[in-house]
Amino acid sequence: MATEQDTAQPYGEQSDLEQLYERLVETGLAKLAVYAGLGVFLVWTLFPVYWLVTATLKTRETLLSFPPQWIPFDAQLGNFAALFAQRPEFFQFILNSVIVTIVTTIIATSIGAAAAYGFVAFDFPYNLDFHLPFYILSTRFMPPIVTIIPLFVIYRSFGLVNTLPGLILTYVMFNIPFAVWMMKGFFEEVPRSIVESAMIDGHTHVGAFVKIVLPLVKPGLIASAIFTIIITWNELLFAIILSQNASAMTIPVGLASFITKYSVQWVNMSVAGTIALVPVLVFAFVAREQLVSGFSMGAVQK
Amino acid sequence: MVRVTYDSIKKKYGDTVAVEDIKVTVDDGEFAVLLGPSGCGKTTTLRCLAGLTEPTEGTIRLGDHDVTDVHPKNRNIAMVFQQFALYPHMNVWQNISYPLKVDGVDKETRRERAREVAEMVEIEELLDRDVGQLSGGQRQRVALGRAMIRRPAVFLMDEPLASLDAKLKVDMRSRIKVLQQDLGITTLYVTHDQEEAMTLGDKLIVMDDGNIQQVGSPDKVYHEPKNRFVAGFIGSPTMNFIEVERDGRTIRPVHGAAEFAVDLDDEVAARYEGHDRFEIGVRPQYFKLHTAQTDNAIRGQVKVTEPMGDEQLIDVLVGEDEDPLELTVKAPSTIDVARNDEVWLTIQQELIHGFDLDSGERIAEGGDQRQRVAASRAEAE
Repeated sequence: MATEQDTAQPYGEQSDLEQLYERLVETGLAKLAVYAGLGVFLVWTLFPVYWLVTATLKTRETLLSFPPQWIPFDAQLGNFAALFAQRPEFFQFILNSVIVTIVTTIIATSIGAAAAYGFVAFDFPYNLDFHLPFYILSTRFMPPIVTIIPLFVIYRSFGLVNTLPGLILTYVMFNIPFAVWMMKGFFEEVPRSIVESAMIDGHTHVGAFVKIVLPLVKPGLIASAIFTIIITWNELLFAIILSQNASAMTIPVGLASFITKYSVQWVNMSVAGTIALVPVLVFAFVAREQLVSGFSMGAVQK
Repeated sequence: MVRVTYDSIKKKYGDTVAVEDIKVTVDDGEFAVLLGPSGCGKTTTLRCLAGLTEPTEGTIRLGDHDVTDVHPKNRNIAMVFQQFALYPHMNVWQNISYPLKVDGVDKETRRERAREVAEMVEIEELLDRDVGQLSGGQRQRVALGRAMIRRPAVFLMDEPLASLDAKLKVDMRSRIKVLQQDLGITTLYVTHDQEEAMTLGDKLIVMDDGNIQQVGSPDKVYHEPKNRFVAGFIGSPTMNFIEVERDGRTIRPVHGAAEFAVDLDDEVAARYEGHDRFEIGVRPQYFKLHTAQTDNAIRGQVKVTEPMGDEQLIDVLVGEDEDPLELTVKAPSTIDVARNDEVWLTIQQELIHGFDLDSGERIAEGGDQRQRVAASRAEAE
């Protein structure tokens, strides 16, 4: 055994830890441990979602019973209908959320991408192509709540409180720094020579940006769109302050309204929560492939 | 197909001068190679013509048109980049025909033209492939095809072969030359590889430090270098430079190496009248290596030999002090020497150059250098 080790490891002894690790790999225990760890992680992440979705099929009593009812046997399919019967304004909330999210995403991603490309492609005087992006990022340093009172006062003077454009404006402000930084990374990956080549092939710089650069950074655009969607769709703090009645309320505000002074409407909240969850989930799933594929800069030698 | 004129082009980046003063004309249909070490401004010079870099001063003319401020897309030029710069989201034929698409040519015609061009660069079987699946050489052919399809007035190539391996390089080199001659398109080609430059160019534009050092045919630049820089940059292995003092007909190195004392022929010595101290340049093949003592020869010791097939490179140390003179000599491989052997070197004197120490300019030699070269070759054989 000793001689075998000597020939196998001519460049020094294995430590005890390395030997132990090798034994674990040989016996398959290492793999088992990895899978067990992943399993725990999976349950940890997915159980809340499971609990939320199954709660929509329960009554208030079975939902709060102890020991908990893990699987809802007497499914209450009427819960969805009941929510909209009790709170018809929920349709309005969903519509508001959809409008705000879509418009915000389009504006923030477009402005973010254009700004980021500007910083990457052009030389600014006084090194501003370095300083400005940092300034943009720095707007996110302070806790957002700090700005909420001045913002409310300004919004009131401009008549923007309780309007969708008001909300959209706030969210665009929120999301642009993120979009700029995300897109900056992607644009930096696009070789300058491709843009120059496109200009020599007959494009203006703007033309080259739209026709050549943007298709190349599509995964980046989708990624920043997804993040913008998630942030906007879930945002509660600003929405709750800046919307005062159903005409401008979004889903998170609606969800919060189930927590009343006297009770928490658990079942309604679960139903509404599930409704809020589905679109984001579907979108992320659809865009998943776009996110990972396509970003092959294979035509370029680095 | 047009003549290109650079008139006093200067480019500064802040306080850094990239190109100082470029005045050169490339004639219609000519293949001009911008050659120089990295950082000499050759790429900047090319990019000024492409319109990708705006010169600080001066004008560039294509034919009779001043294009200094014209957008690249309106210059009727095509460019091949070192990094190929293909569009990764398009396949081969879409890449090749993209300039036509921007021009608004219909799909049928584009496809047809792409096929014609692909035949010229021999990639017609790859037309429907994604560019990501291609090898380096194939990608470079696609890039060439894309440059050719619009039949531009001028071809610009920025080190197009630099990222290919050695064998492919030689192959593509001859293909580029054939294509350029067939199409007759004025071409400017940037490279730092002097072998590439010599084989491709009708005209070499040797640059250093933001300025043109010499413009001329490959033969002229090789045999009649204008100054010490050109002499040292062109030719591989590099020319041997020795700073010498002249005493009558005898020259001796300024620093050490007493063994090095050469009596010049009358005709050669006459060239250097008025130059008591100057630098001589001797190409490795203009030394003759002897294994026995010879008249008017320099005694030295072999440091190392590098066989190269028919020939070998021999580093010879002259002088035994701690700072010997090191000379590179090219000799037939039939001569059998090894490290530390004693050898004697004679110089083919009519082929050496002398350079002024202050200006670095070559000291005039008179007569036709080429004829002397031919004569020396005939004599050698």
